[in-house]
Amino acid sequence: MAFLEKSNWVVIFVAVPALLIYAALVVPQVLGKPIAEVSWVQPMIFAIVGFIVANIAGNVVAAASNPGEADRKDQRDTEIDHFGERVGNWLIIAGSIVALVLAMTSADHFWIANAIFLGGIAGALLSSVTKIAAYHGPFQQW
Amino acid sequence: MVKPTRVTNSIRALRFANGEMTQADLADRIGVTRQTIIAIEQGKYSPSLEVAFQIARVLRVRLDEAFGYPDEQG
Repeated sequence: MAFLEKSNWVVIFVAVPALLIYAALVVPQVLGKPIAEVSWVQPMIFAIVGFIVANIAGNVVAAASNPGEADRKDQRDTEIDHFGERVGNWLIIAGSIVALVLAMTSADHFWIANAIFLGGIAGALLSSVTKIAAYHGPFQQW
Repeated sequence: MVKPTRVTNSIRALRFANGEMTQADLADRIGVTRQTIIAIEQGKYSPSLEVAFQIARVLRVRLDEAFGYPDEQG
């Protein structure tokens, strides 16, 4: 498995737990009390920082498992990387547009922040799934 | 955007004709990953012209001996 494919598996294995932990901490509050009283800032920071730290750690482990391939990136890797990023960016843009509309309609900060957060996580996941699919199936950009 | 390539190749046979060269050896000699060589051999990815020339050179054949492009089927 190419290092960049491993790196994208790391994103999936890290992003899904980060999202689930955040949801487990916040969703019960949303269902049980007014939005203004929901404590979401710390869980969101915990999820974002945890995602970044675990992603770095996962990449270090992936690189250590096969040091010879860790620094090798060829044209196909670059093309797959760019393709996956372009696909994933659509969800990040969608989250940003939703956040913009929420801000225009004076929605609570909770909803604005969560639209951006979920757009970012979902975009990262879609990007990684797209790249992994490209590594396993036919891939041609022209 | 993501479609199978119509470019065919004889890389596998040519590797064996060149002292049973492994995919890893070929990848090392042209500076790509072994996974890319596998994808090219399986017709899942067509390389750039530059990589195609490098592959042909390492396998000591002309470009059109390593790669082919079939005529349009009626």
